[in-house]
Amino acid sequence: MAKYYDIDDILAEEELVPSVFQHAANEVGLFDSSDDTNKVEAGSRVELPFWLVRELYLRQLISIRVPPCFDRESKTREEIGADAAHVDLRSRCLYFYEVGCKIAPLVGDKTIGPFLLVAFRTRYKEVLIKAHTLTPAVAPKYLTLLTNEEAKLYEAGQSSITAFKKWRMGGPRFQMAPVLGRKRKPT
Amino acid sequence: MYARKASELVKEFASSEPGQLSTFNNDLFAQVLEECEGHLLHLQPLMRKIQEHENKLKDKRRSEDEVEISEDERRKSEAEKVILQTALKSDQFGALVHHLSLVRNKRCLMAYIYNRAEVIRSLGWMVDSVLPAEIEEKLSSTEKEYFKNHVATLQSYMSELDLHLTVDMVPPKDPYIKVRVLDDIGEVALSDQVANLARHAIMFLRRTDAEQYITQGGQKQRMLRFQYSLDI
Repeated sequence: MAKYYDIDDILAEEELVPSVFQHAANEVGLFDSSDDTNKVEAGSRVELPFWLVRELYLRQLISIRVPPCFDRESKTREEIGADAAHVDLRSRCLYFYEVGCKIAPLVGDKTIGPFLLVAFRTRYKEVLIKAHTLTPAVAPKYLTLLTNEEAKLYEAGQSSITAFKKWRMGGPRFQMAPVLGRKRKPT
Repeated sequence: MYARKASELVKEFASSEPGQLSTFNNDLFAQVLEECEGHLLHLQPLMRKIQEHENKLKDKRRSEDEVEISEDERRKSEAEKVILQTALKSDQFGALVHHLSLVRNKRCLMAYIYNRAEVIRSLGWMVDSVLPAEIEEKLSSTEKEYFKNHVATLQSYMSELDLHLTVDMVPPKDPYIKVRVLDDIGEVALSDQVANLARHAIMFLRRTDAEQYITQGGQKQRMLRFQYSLDI
């Protein structure tokens, strides 16, 4: 419950997991709006968000498959193995590490943990180097490859470099309160 | 899909820049609440059905215990029991889905409110007791109330301590700074002198005097801004 109000945690749990209903469920008509019976039959295949999956899976009401980007035989794994730093994780799963950490204990797949670690280690190094060296013009292109967490690391790296430069040069230390907006009134 | 709208609300908050507020999304907020009502409407009949099924199952068991029945009837009642049990399970499943969706919706709404409140609290430290109009219009009425109360609490605490806490959030190196005036202000009584703050004038001012003009740069009524070129 420590992360109850955490925005990222909430959004990470929105990630879809392919699942199969093991029992019929009454009055749940949303997944398949074409019929009026408001009933989901046993055996129907749907992609459910993770917050729903965890509870239902623990009660053995549904069976799940590991999402494609964590699957043992998936292309993502091969790509990460080949060159982790340049895989586009953002388009596959915005909260790659968070979802991975949540799904691993649930399905009991012991290979997910090391896989995440390897991916993070290689990519972290690259993120830090890029944060210190990239010019603002090329940065947006690189940012499209990063997951949410990595983008935050990237920004942290960048802001520490600017803070360092500012400290060396001795810049202004009073600033307009950031909430008041950055747009300057025409003078 | 359930709770989609609530997550949209959270996403909207996440996409605004940290420390900045976007307009309170009354519309979406109300829609999520409506969805919660809908879940409740689904949930109640399901609960009733679950109760009924359970009662029926109990009755069956009791009647079996009390009366001796033939092999044929026993088989029949077993079959009925199985049907009842699957129906019960389906109802429980449905109810669970609705319950979880409700909990999820609640979490999203709470997170939205909580995180906005956090930003509003930090506003109390950064700007003075009056919010600039362009920020104020983004708040809902309860949030405005919250801000007012928070600022009042802060003020009373500071007067109790007899210490102005929001001054000099960054410790100064020198009591005086050099500033250049960006907009016409006119004669202003400062703590140690009366200064004519004309546009483009460059002068030495006490830090504490200058600070309020710099941090409130965007405020409309004051149309005055300092930029200081040197911080000795």
